[in-house]
Amino acid sequence: MELVLKGFGEVVKTVTFRVRRYDPEKKEMPKYMEYKVPVQKGMTVLDGILYIKEHLDPSLAARYSCRMGICGSCAMIINGKERLACQTQILELNKDLIKVDPLGNYDTVKDLVPDLSKLFKNHESVKPYIVREETEPYGEYLQLPEEREKYALFTECIMCGACLSACPTMATDDLYLGPQALAQAYRYIADSRDAGFNERLNLLDSKHGVWRCHFAGACSEVCPKGVDPALAIQLLRGVLSKNIFIKYKQNPAKLGPERASIKEVL
Amino acid sequence: MRESKIMLLQYLTGLFILVLGTFHMLLLSVLAPTSNKVLYQYSSPTNHTLIGGTLYYSTVTAIYHTLLWGSIFELLLTFLVFHIFNGFRIILSEQFPGAKAEKIITYSMLIIGLIIFIWGSRTIVLMLLQGGI
Repeated sequence: MELVLKGFGEVVKTVTFRVRRYDPEKKEMPKYMEYKVPVQKGMTVLDGILYIKEHLDPSLAARYSCRMGICGSCAMIINGKERLACQTQILELNKDLIKVDPLGNYDTVKDLVPDLSKLFKNHESVKPYIVREETEPYGEYLQLPEEREKYALFTECIMCGACLSACPTMATDDLYLGPQALAQAYRYIADSRDAGFNERLNLLDSKHGVWRCHFAGACSEVCPKGVDPALAIQLLRGVLSKNIFIKYKQNPAKLGPERASIKEVL
Repeated sequence: MRESKIMLLQYLTGLFILVLGTFHMLLLSVLAPTSNKVLYQYSSPTNHTLIGGTLYYSTVTAIYHTLLWGSIFELLLTFLVFHIFNGFRIILSEQFPGAKAEKIITYSMLIIGLIIFIWGSRTIVLMLLQGGI
């Protein structure tokens, strides 16, 4: 009798998971291993992987956390496309063979776990926070809803790293900032409360910055949250191009009324 | 120079190449100073000795004799050299990232580009002044 997972519907069919296995600590070449998984209604690829771990091969390594498409931990290449394993329904793939690879353009920690250090380092380098002269704001920076709309789309990033995996420039240029970091740079430059354009300029307008995007659009294609980093890069290019002729001036939003409650916290 | 300025020049030269390249092609075809606009004109159907045509050597050199067209060719050469070798620099910098490699790539492209520019300019000037090389 087949082992089934609790909380799911009836077993519909059995699919084959072809999973890339690689452990850098063992001096072996990467290889693919196949597992037969009974698919119940409502099962995601992550559930399939967890089924393999629990019932077939506990040595398989995969990263996951929230299981609901929020944390971005379980991004991997499923049937050739970067997706969140927890958001990908097995039956919706409509295939009897599911090929699972770790994200590309990263080193592999083990099996399906990529080393995302590059993603975090690039993200950090663009100063992904509001830069202001004041060190201790005792109030809120005022912003209109229309001003927030300018960058709202780019706040959805969950840092899953799928865009870097799909990016063709990342595959060749190891120093390229990548779509995630560039989209976040634009997110803060477009924020009416920010005053950090000049601090980010040298990095963005460098040999491995915004101009190295080939505009393949693969980043936007695979983004599970619909962030559209390719659009952010083009908008950023527009800002940098205008900056050649007229120095880009940020007019950071004014500080709202002083709030005693904030003072007390600080 | 900031990368944005270099890239702006890259895009502009690309645009100019398109415009001047079109002139160049038109000049060698519909605007060519030949009556029947054929590429090669032979002495007879059986004897393939060239006697005229838009791509006949003396027809082509005749185009270069005016300062206007000489200047246009010189401009086309300038834009082409910048666009091609800056393009190579970008492609190679992506393939071989790193400060040392990029320095070597940038200077190599600059030197090769300059040599080709000087050689091309020499051709245009000789055609303009002497009617041939």
